Amino acid sequence: MSEGKTIIERLEDIPREILYAILLIVFVIPLVRPLGLPVPISPNVRTWYETIDSLPPGSVVMVDFGYSGGGEPELGPMAVAVYHHIFRKGDIKVITMSTSIEGPQLWDKAIAEVRPEQRWGAEYGVDYIHIGYIAGTETAMAAIGKDLRATTSTDYRGTPLDQYPIMDDIVDANDFDLLLCYTTGGDQSEGWVRQWQTVYGTRYMCSVLAMMVPTMLPYQNAGQIISVTSGAQAGEMEGLVGIPARGIKSADVITLTHLLLIGYVLIGNIAALIHRGQGGGK
Amino acid sequence: MSVTYKKTIPVLIVFITAILVMADYFIILPPVTEAGASWTSNTVKMLQNWGIILTAFSLGFGAFNLFLFHSKHISRRTKDQWLFSLWLLIVIALFTVIGVFLGPTSDQYNWIYNASYFALSATVYSSLGFYMTSGVYRALRIKNVESGIFLVVGLIVLAKNAPALTVYFPILDTTVAFIRDVLTTSAQRGIMIGGSLGALSLGIRTMTGRETGFLGRLTEEEKGGPMQ
Repeated sequence: MSEGKTIIERLEDIPREILYAILLIVFVIPLVRPLGLPVPISPNVRTWYETIDSLPPGSVVMVDFGYSGGGEPELGPMAVAVYHHIFRKGDIKVITMSTSIEGPQLWDKAIAEVRPEQRWGAEYGVDYIHIGYIAGTETAMAAIGKDLRATTSTDYRGTPLDQYPIMDDIVDANDFDLLLCYTTGGDQSEGWVRQWQTVYGTRYMCSVLAMMVPTMLPYQNAGQIISVTSGAQAGEMEGLVGIPARGIKSADVITLTHLLLIGYVLIGNIAALIHRGQGGGK
Repeated sequence: MSVTYKKTIPVLIVFITAILVMADYFIILPPVTEAGASWTSNTVKMLQNWGIILTAFSLGFGAFNLFLFHSKHISRRTKDQWLFSLWLLIVIALFTVIGVFLGPTSDQYNWIYNASYFALSATVYSSLGFYMTSGVYRALRIKNVESGIFLVVGLIVLAKNAPALTVYFPILDTTVAFIRDVLTTSAQRGIMIGGSLGALSLGIRTMTGRETGFLGRLTEEEKGGPMQ
């Protein structure tokens, strides 16, 4: 127990229950009462936005919903903001597939948030479609790239692809102008580089978990990925698209919790240094 | 079974498949098809689709195996386990029945997914934030020069990742850009190149039958004798 401990010793070893409790309070405050802290736009998010913005009319975009339920709170808002951007721009076909088994459910969730028909006048099967979960990750990417219809002949509801106008003239990876991937797995984000970007030269951007960004940077710096963003930057994308939603709320939480973390680290180190100066500690 | 059935034939299949897929990836082999693709293209397309079917089959097979494994726990009433196994099987059965009869895109399936699995997995993943907070507080301590450098870099990156801070301290952007684009990228490239060389080596060993892990349990004789 902490009996007989000095304040410095207590600060050096704060019980985790207290750390968690303060974190929870700091976490909840901006969710209940948004603070509206500034959200600067990172160069990567701007590049992502401008790449989509510069797509010529009639472009075809392949989207991979490759994340799992655990990653939805981070990647879902980014996917929703980007869909808003694409649909608002108009005259762009969006063909979505999933390399994650949960992808179709999470896609339904995102589309329910975007409401393409009501908000942007887009139509399923004409402007956008989901061709379902395709097992095999990299094998699936390679097969879809080689011959889409030989790999799957129906959409995620089981309706033949030939019944949808959006699928006219779509044969292989060469028919896509841009590839977007939202994923919680390195197999997916790196797999698309190997199976599409390298083979067909498809322009590629990905949004991954914040902790995965360092592993993806070499590809971006080598020019194989146009832009790598983390889902935590969804607030920035929402700012650019002009439709604030979950991402902006998260931005306040991210700022405050990171500040708290910096505070924890400083308190722990200062207390440890003083304790050591007094002849105690390790 | 003889060495031929247990090792030679499977290794030969792997070798031919790997050579075909690699050749199709890197080069266009004559005779070229009307579409300008290599003659291997259609064969590789078929192999890839087999791969997708096998992966999908293995998912179903995995669920079946899980069913068998936990059924044993229930029938044996394994202490501190069988109730969890029973609950698991009930959940698998529920998802399977709704998925098969109403469809995996039905409202009912989406509802149970969103109300149970999605909510739980997002919660479990999010709870990592608490453990990480405690971990950062205890681990990021100056003990020597190396940990000092680690601490300083960690604090700079933490500060940069707080969106509002970069507005007031723009220098964070340029500092983290250097850390990210020069230090992290170069280290990460080294790791990736090393990993890729390892994968290449493993691939060659598997193709040539020197790596036999994928063949299951083999005797020393079936493996081709102990490696020198």
